[in-house]
Amino acid sequence: MKRIWIILLGVLLMVSLAPWAEAAPVSLRILYVNDFHGFAEPIKQTNGKPSIGGIAYLAGAVDRARQQRPSILLAAGDMIQGNAWANLFLGQSVIDVMNAMKFDAMVVGNHEFNFGPKVLQERIAQANFPILGANVEGLPSLKPYVIKKLNGIRIGIIGVVTQDSVNTAPKNIAGLKFTPPESALLKYLPELKRQADIIVVLSHCGYPVDRELAAKVPGIDVIVGGHTHTKLTHPEEVGNTIIVQAWEHAKNLGVLDLSVEAGKIVKFQGALQEISPNTEKPDPQIQAIVTRYEDLANPPLRQSIGETLVDLDASRVRTEETNLGDFIADVMRQTAQADAAIINAGSIKGSIAKGTIRTQDVYNALPYDNYLIAIQLTGAQLKEALEHGVSQVGKPSHRFPQVSGLTFTYSRSAPVGSRVREVIVGGQLLNLTKKYIVATIDYLGAGGDGFKIFAAALERRDGGEMDRVVYTDTGNWLRDRVIIAIKAQKTIAPQVDGRIKAVD
Amino acid sequence: MRVYVNDKPVELFPGMQVKHALIRADEMAKITDGLKAFDAWGHELGLDGALLEGMKIYVKKNPEGKPQ
Repeated sequence: MKRIWIILLGVLLMVSLAPWAEAAPVSLRILYVNDFHGFAEPIKQTNGKPSIGGIAYLAGAVDRARQQRPSILLAAGDMIQGNAWANLFLGQSVIDVMNAMKFDAMVVGNHEFNFGPKVLQERIAQANFPILGANVEGLPSLKPYVIKKLNGIRIGIIGVVTQDSVNTAPKNIAGLKFTPPESALLKYLPELKRQADIIVVLSHCGYPVDRELAAKVPGIDVIVGGHTHTKLTHPEEVGNTIIVQAWEHAKNLGVLDLSVEAGKIVKFQGALQEISPNTEKPDPQIQAIVTRYEDLANPPLRQSIGETLVDLDASRVRTEETNLGDFIADVMRQTAQADAAIINAGSIKGSIAKGTIRTQDVYNALPYDNYLIAIQLTGAQLKEALEHGVSQVGKPSHRFPQVSGLTFTYSRSAPVGSRVREVIVGGQLLNLTKKYIVATIDYLGAGGDGFKIFAAALERRDGGEMDRVVYTDTGNWLRDRVIIAIKAQKTIAPQVDGRIKAVD
Repeated sequence: MRVYVNDKPVELFPGMQVKHALIRADEMAKITDGLKAFDAWGHELGLDGALLEGMKIYVKKNPEGKPQ
C-alpha cells in the first residue's frame, strides 16, 4: 500500500512539473517574415498609395509585438539576395540586421545559394541564429531542426526548402542533394516530437506544396511558408495544420497567436500586419544598420572597374547597332557559351562616357533586374526573332535588337515579317533547320516586348522542354555579368562592326 | 515548366516567376492598371513569387469580402 502511495505521489509530482500542467492555456506568439530579398528601404507604391515596408519599420513592429506576448521570430527563406542593398554585400547586411532583430531561426531558401557555397557558409557562420535545411544533404552547417523553449513550451522548428533550388543556381549547388521535403519531415519528425510540445515547419517550398505537406505528413502543428510570395492575410487550415505566409519584401509582419494546453494548440488567431512607414516608428538600432550599409554602398558604386577608350553609346540602341549594344550582347553570348545573343534595346538605358568605368555606370546602363538565359532555336526561329526585332524600324523601338555571334541585313521598306535578308551565324549562312544556342534575357524569354518566339520554342518542343533550355542564371543580374567582364578585360574599346545593316 | 494564367496554359523557363507568366500571357498591362495576381485559393501573389509546375494564376480585382 505504501508503495502505491509513493508511486501515485511521484506521478502527481511529474504531472505538476510538466510545462503544460498549468490550468490556463499558455499563450505564445509566432512572428514571421519570408522572401525579404534585401528590401531594406520602404517601397514606393504607384497610384498615390503610401509607401510600404522597410526593415527598420518592420523591426519596430516586432519590438511592439514582443512586448505583448512571449514571441519567437522566424524567417521562411530568401532573405539575403535580391535588392542591391543585400547583393553589394553578398547578404552580410541582411544577416547583420537579422542578428540585431534577434531572429530565432530561418530556413534556407533557394536564393540563399545564389552567391555560391563559400558565401553561404560565411553567412551561416555570421548568423547568431540557426539556419535550417532538413532536406539538404552535403552542407552540415545547415541544421535540420532546432528546439526553442518559450513560456515553458518546447517548440520544435524544422526547415525544408524546395527541390527546385537546383534550377536557381545550378553551379552553386554542386555536391548538394535536395531530398523531397516530405521524406525529410517523415525522417526527422519522430525524434523531434519526442523533444518538443508543438511542431513548426519552416518551409521554403511554396504554398501549394505546404498544403500537400499538411495533408500528407501527420503531426505538423504550424507551417510558416515562403517561396511563392503568397499573401495569406489570415491563417489557413488543412487538416489539423495551420499554414501562414507573409507575402514579400518586408511589406508585412506575420503574427500568429497560439494558446497551448496539454501540449496541444487549442486556439489560434493570426493576421498580417502591414508595415506603414508613414505612420509607424522604426527601430532605431535597425535603422542605423540600414543607413550604415547604404553609406557603405556608395564607395562600391563609385568604384572604378575598368576603362573605356571610346564612348559607349546607348542613345541610338533603339534604331541601330551601337558599340554598347555589341559589348553587352558579346558578354551574354560568351557567358552562356551560346552561338548567338539577342537583347532588346529597351533593356539598355544609359551611355557610358570615355574614360573610367564605375560600377554605377553599368547599373545606369542596365537598370533592370534581368538575368541571362539561353535556349536552342532553329534557324527559322532565330530569323523570326530578328524579324520581330526590326518590325518597328523607322521609329525608336524597345524591340530593336542588339546582337552578338551573328550579322544580318534587313529592308526598311519590306513588309513586317519579311524584312530580314541575309543572316550569318558563326561565319556561316543561317541554316533554317539547324539548331543554334541563343542567349537572351529572362524578360524576352517570357515574351517581353513581343519576343514570343523564345517561350513559343518551349511549346514546340520535340525532345522535351529541358533539352531546349541550355542555360539559366537566375542568381546573377546581367549587369553583374557585364561588370565581371569589364573587370576581367580592364580596358575596352568596342566598335560598331556592322552586325546590323539596312539595305535600303 | 507549364503554368496557367486565367486557365490558359503557358510554357516558361524553369526558375521563372509570376511576372514572367503574366508577361507570357499578355496580362502584365492589367497589373499596371491596378489588377492583381491571385492563386487558385484566392490569395494575392507577389510578382516575384516562384512558380510551381501546374500552378494556376488569376488576374482580377480583389475578390469581394477578401481583405487584401
